[in-house]
Amino acid sequence: MFIRSKMTLLCASAALALGVAMSSGASKAAEMGSMHIAFGDIPGADMLGFMIAAKRAESRGVKLKISFLQSEDLASQAIVSGQADIGVGTPYALIQKVKAPIRMFYQLSKLAFFPIVNTEKYKGWKDLDGQPMYTHARGSGTEAIMNLMAMKNNIKYSAMSYVPGSAVRAGAMLQGRIDATIVDAERRTLLMREGKGKFALLPLPKIDASDEALYANTEFMEKNEEAINILLEELVLTWREINKNPGYVSKARAEYNLLPDMPASDAEGIDPYYAEAVETKIFDDNGGGEKAILGDFEFYDFAGTIKGDTSKLTVEEFWNLAPLNKALDKLGRM
Amino acid sequence: MSRTLVDSVYIPPETSSFDTMIIWRTISVLFVFGSWEIAGRIPISIAFPTFFETMTALFEMIMDGRLAHAYFETLKPLLVGVGISAGFGVLIGTSMGLYRSVQWLGEPIFIVMQAAPMAALIPLVTFVYGIGLAAKVCAVVILAAPIIVLNSYKAVTNANVSLIQMCASFQGSRVQQIIRVIIPDASPMIFAGLRLGVAAGFIGVILAELLITPTGIGDLITYHRSVAEYADMYAAIFSIILFAAVTIGLLEKAEIAYFRPERKKKKGS
Repeated sequence: MFIRSKMTLLCASAALALGVAMSSGASKAAEMGSMHIAFGDIPGADMLGFMIAAKRAESRGVKLKISFLQSEDLASQAIVSGQADIGVGTPYALIQKVKAPIRMFYQLSKLAFFPIVNTEKYKGWKDLDGQPMYTHARGSGTEAIMNLMAMKNNIKYSAMSYVPGSAVRAGAMLQGRIDATIVDAERRTLLMREGKGKFALLPLPKIDASDEALYANTEFMEKNEEAINILLEELVLTWREINKNPGYVSKARAEYNLLPDMPASDAEGIDPYYAEAVETKIFDDNGGGEKAILGDFEFYDFAGTIKGDTSKLTVEEFWNLAPLNKALDKLGRM
Repeated sequence: MSRTLVDSVYIPPETSSFDTMIIWRTISVLFVFGSWEIAGRIPISIAFPTFFETMTALFEMIMDGRLAHAYFETLKPLLVGVGISAGFGVLIGTSMGLYRSVQWLGEPIFIVMQAAPMAALIPLVTFVYGIGLAAKVCAVVILAAPIIVLNSYKAVTNANVSLIQMCASFQGSRVQQIIRVIIPDASPMIFAGLRLGVAAGFIGVILAELLITPTGIGDLITYHRSVAEYADMYAAIFSIILFAAVTIGLLEKAEIAYFRPERKKKKGS
């Protein structure tokens, strides 16, 4: 009797130990495939492409959590401190100046901004000589583009003022508080629609530099190679799908119930936004790669984000292209 | 100095209290800066520079004129905003203390303004006043005015009743009561409100420069953060904290010297 009860106790303990071991193993497996992504902006139509890829990666077992922070700087600090795993932005300065242990690994989009003026005041670039200009922030891509164009057109602005956010600058244009600025594609469409012929776009040469890229802590990338590979494969496939058919975003948004609270008027802008983005070729079929990075070096050197001799910079200092190459080896290059 | 059972509670000699205060304050400052240097050397974060690096960056910013230019930009909305808040604030607060109808009209508005979270009002401010100087002045006024108004109101309400009655008994008119008794009696508290209003104004102007358009010190903070020059960013933050603390300290000294001589006497004894 005593021996039987002892055996029962032993079996129960073994079963319990096995259960605990199995459950800890299962949770470890789930942890291996989870990642926390930090955007430095509020959710909008421009993020839908990534959200679709994330949902597709989730269906392949990668657990994803997306947070929206107030700025890209906060997002990058969250990545460096380990509070989030993957960030969205172009943290060249952070990598170069403070040797942050992070690397970019996928180009989400290229810079696509549009200089826009009030035609009652200005007709072309030359008219902006000695006039005030409004851009996103000091050292930003928008400021670099406008300075580049001032240099090319041999003009000088009377002052460069900073108004963060394309939406805010577009609002100021509509209210008549400013007469020349640079905005993103979404606000360009808005201004052209609401301005009723009052605003005009200024010609801009093609600028080949990254606007948004995915980056992560190097240690995280090493430990979560499999999850990152799945995410990259789905990103490449989604980007190719969007480039083939921009209307795919609206359909997938409905399928995955993404941004359900988006107002109907904004939702109507999704298709035109992606059609325009595809037309201006801001989504690369192969995730950017080395060619895109060299374009970044040139542009961000001009912007003052990167310091020193850019000819001496190496791709490996800023990017880890191994996961992308692995995904492209599997999916094929276009 | 030997102690007995009678004087078991040790009272330090008053003549050395000033020296002791200086020693303890120096130790306090050294402790904070020392901790900062150690935290930067560990480092607690790659974005956290050492105290020495920050001071070097501050020195460079002073020498190349960046800091002077930034303060010139920051002080514009601050001075205009504090000036408006002080002028109208004292007038409205005093009127609220003197006239019941003005009190009923103004008190709820300023209590709500004081309790309202400022950052939440920024979109409204930019919608009404745009993105220029007017919006920043408005941000300063929203934060500084309620403190100045409510302090002035309380100061007038709590004016010494005996003095007012004495003025009345000497056939003093209502205007004489206000000018010769109530305002002088309320002035220490009104000035204390102005000092607190200036402190709130500093918060308002930096919030505006960070949330509306980056100019002045707000621009230095935003720009150096965006290009990962953290020593410069902390130098700008350090400078504005120091500037605000020194300004408020000087105002407090002026308050003691001109409005609270009894505190000056106590300190000096």
